[in-house]
Amino acid sequence: MTKKPGILLALAAAAMPAAAQAQLRFPVIVPLGRQGPQPPGPAQPPPQVVRGNLIAAAGSDTVYFSRKSSNLDANAAATLTAQARWLVANPFVTVRLEGHGDSHDSRDYALAIGERRANAVRDFLVLQGVAPQRISVTSWGKEHPGTLLVGRSVVAAGPRVQTVIQ
Amino acid sequence: MQQRGLILIRRFDPARFLKLLPALLLAAPAAAHAQAREPSAVVIAVPTLATSQDVETDAGSTWSLANQIADLITADLDSTTRFLLADVDKVRIPSFPEVTAPSYASWRGAGAKLLLSGFVNARSDGRLTIGCYLYDVQSGRELTRKGFAVTPSEWRRAAHRCADLAYTKVTGNPPPFDSRIAYVAQSGADRSLVKRLAMMDFDGASHVYLTTGNSLVLSPSWSPDGKSIAYTSLGDDRLEVRVIDVESKADRPLLHGGGDNFGPSFSPDGDWVTLTISVAGNSDVFVVQSNGGIPRRLTTSPAIDTGASFSPDGRQIAFVSDRSGGPQIYVMNYDGSDQRRVSFGPGDYDAPVWSPDGEWLAFTRVEGTTSRIGVMRANGSQDRIVTNGPRDEQPSWSPDGARILFQHFDQPTKRPRLSIVPAEGGTARQLPTPQGASDPAWAERQE
Repeated sequence: MTKKPGILLALAAAAMPAAAQAQLRFPVIVPLGRQGPQPPGPAQPPPQVVRGNLIAAAGSDTVYFSRKSSNLDANAAATLTAQARWLVANPFVTVRLEGHGDSHDSRDYALAIGERRANAVRDFLVLQGVAPQRISVTSWGKEHPGTLLVGRSVVAAGPRVQTVIQ
Repeated sequence: MQQRGLILIRRFDPARFLKLLPALLLAAPAAAHAQAREPSAVVIAVPTLATSQDVETDAGSTWSLANQIADLITADLDSTTRFLLADVDKVRIPSFPEVTAPSYASWRGAGAKLLLSGFVNARSDGRLTIGCYLYDVQSGRELTRKGFAVTPSEWRRAAHRCADLAYTKVTGNPPPFDSRIAYVAQSGADRSLVKRLAMMDFDGASHVYLTTGNSLVLSPSWSPDGKSIAYTSLGDDRLEVRVIDVESKADRPLLHGGGDNFGPSFSPDGDWVTLTISVAGNSDVFVVQSNGGIPRRLTTSPAIDTGASFSPDGRQIAFVSDRSGGPQIYVMNYDGSDQRRVSFGPGDYDAPVWSPDGEWLAFTRVEGTTSRIGVMRANGSQDRIVTNGPRDEQPSWSPDGARILFQHFDQPTKRPRLSIVPAEGGTARQLPTPQGASDPAWAERQE
């Protein structure tokens, strides 16, 4: 103990046991690690806005199938080609392809064929140049029976795949 | 089933409770009332149960319970085609000592061939003793008897067991009445649809919900011991099979990772679960140990293979495949060998389930926009339709194999409901459920 520190500190130090004295020599705090605070990323528009943009560009976010089929017809291929072009142009977007079965399928079969349809769409988009890791795939089976406006009448449109913005 | 508070009493003898014999009254004969029944239907009399002393219990007085139990036994037996209920109104209600010494003459006079009588007594430990006796009235001898100690709130189970006693004795079939049904309860409209796993007694009593409704649930399947249910859970991010314990409601995924998986069905020993796993859009039937592990693939076709169900001996699996174009029923050995198509009728076949004796398959058949329930031999012969449609699906056998529970669309409420139809076809009877109901699974009876 030197005579230089103030008399109060010296008194306080003298009153403490050795272990407590060691704590008085407080270390300098050095920031460690390579990550500073996150800079704010590029602001992303809300999914509804992105979805509206996709529909405007591709005509629809949904393609339809005939019962028991997972083949893409000409309409579906045209819609998906436009969707793929839009996805390539908007690389920040990831999508989930949600396949649907028909209300006349059984629970299990509807889930299975929904998977198959969603994967058919996925394969098509990947072939058109969309990175596979931007696409996830799921099936809703027949849990969300869809409808479609044909002229003025609403018709059931179960077998379909919807491209959902994540 | 210790946790449900039911203990079987063997060799129960109510003679030691013998008390005063009430005055004997003359009984007037009464004819059995007419119903559409099997020609071999047996006329049975189910009088109000006796009680040695009218005691208040948690579930009402023993006398009122005696009436309710007799009503429930009557309703159970009346729901089958094997019994004609004798009109017991004009026959004097048996006194407690008469339960073991029935006045056969008065029951013969009522036109009965069988008599199912019994008693309800309060025990000192707060439980009830319920005894049941089945007599052959014509020959005047006792056929069988059983006694149960049960908490007052669970009197219904003992009543169902009494009905089971008569049913098994008469038909030789496994007992159907003290059994539970799991199903999917649904509420809300299209987009806000809520589906919850629910469970109830076969007559709609003791209804409980098992899941909260945060994710959609589908296709429940009982473990053979009745302790857990495997089901498909469908959320925003995951399509997977989960297993829930029906007592604790503890819930876990069956697999860890892997592709989307659904459509579970337990093996008869409970050690395995067969299910569908979808990899890159190709759905195949797999089998996995019920406590987890690595799933083993049983089908390899590029077509859809799904909807698998174990045969009761565990040696075969029925499943659905569209490898021939549309969905049809196939049967294979439990290791995936010898896959063969068994359904060749018109339309699409789906959702096969084995009857408890392993002789039959029930299924959904879709022709155009009409779906109906049918049955056929496990080899595909004797294919026939047993319901009228237009939107019947998801069949499940009763534990005795005499009836089929299925989901139909109820036009007035615009919701699916559950109904029961005799396996040979006939009039379907709707099961009461508090909400819309689908995906029924009828459990075997648990001891």
